[in-house]
Amino acid sequence: MKKLLTAVVSLGFIAGTASATDVEADRKAFVGFFNSIQPNVEFADYTNGVYAYDEGSREQFEEILDGIPPYESDVEKGEEEFEKFGMGNCAAFKDLSTARVNYPYYDEERKQVQTLESAIKECYQAQTGKKLATKKGRIARLSAYISDQAAGQKINVKVESEGAKAAYERGKKFFYAKRGQFNMSCADCHVYNAGKKARADILSPALGHTTHVPMYRVKWSGLGTLHRRYGGCLKNMRAKPLAALSEEFRDMELFHQAMSNGLEITADRYRK
Amino acid sequence: MKKVLLTTLAVFSLSATAADFLGSSHNWNNGSSDPFKTTVASAEKGLKANLSASMAWRDTAKMISEAKKLQASGKTDAALALAKKAHTQTVNAAAQTAAAATAGPRF
Repeated sequence: MKKLLTAVVSLGFIAGTASATDVEADRKAFVGFFNSIQPNVEFADYTNGVYAYDEGSREQFEEILDGIPPYESDVEKGEEEFEKFGMGNCAAFKDLSTARVNYPYYDEERKQVQTLESAIKECYQAQTGKKLATKKGRIARLSAYISDQAAGQKINVKVESEGAKAAYERGKKFFYAKRGQFNMSCADCHVYNAGKKARADILSPALGHTTHVPMYRVKWSGLGTLHRRYGGCLKNMRAKPLAALSEEFRDMELFHQAMSNGLEITADRYRK
Repeated sequence: MKKVLLTTLAVFSLSATAADFLGSSHNWNNGSSDPFKTTVASAEKGLKANLSASMAWRDTAKMISEAKKLQASGKTDAALALAKKAHTQTVNAAAQTAAAATAGPRF
């Protein structure tokens, strides 16, 4: 009986260990998968997202960057707004050189993932007493300006505490879960079929998605946050979109950004 | 004993007359036998569960609302068909919710 009990406890321990969160192992497997489908693309080039995959699109992208990118005036406006609303008074934005790379992280006190946009929203409200919309407009301009200050730095999301690991696992499940009438997951398009065409568009690789957020999309004719894009993707899959900065999106961002650890943040935020 | 029997027969007789008077259009089950009402109720219950799991489909609520409008305008067949589609969506979303618990990479 004692032997049986020991065996059962041991098996439970092994199973528990096997399912323990290992972000670096997940990231390596993730990067490895992209290497397997696009062996000629260098890891560092994933900073350029879909433009790492398609030469024609890359040429267009570079031509746009050589001129005056359509988001430039928004980023300048973001800088003006940063000063005007005293965003630098908030602890989160006192040192702009590190502000972007500190996010996302798991806040132990609030028991919630904090993102760059959630910090901007809170700071703005503290400074002005007003609320800030979460997907586009001012929040995206401020976020773009703050993110620009980190261009060239590498994404380095840390998932260390038990709370952070639980949030990461929830975000990972969300990313791989099929949803909506099309019964598709984020991974179905942006991992397994990355680089293939969906109608006239090339599906972008999830690796590197978060290097250039917030992004300017031609479809939007403006800047939008990562959570705006999440909502748009869900809608395209005919799932009911969730609110930007919802718990689910915060958790998924933690996972999504962690998968791009080691990639450079870029100020080239133009996307088709 | 005789009185009890007479009273019982009288009650039955009156009930039968009343039922006949109300006619077949009366809803004796307070709506539970109305296929449209039953289907819409199931769809709404399913949608509520899908929403609480953050797994609802984009158009389900719209379909339920549209089905109610069709029913109100007398297009009962179309209303029932749409309500059934909405309900099927909630069942499929519930299946996705169950599958999501074990979702993970395939590599």
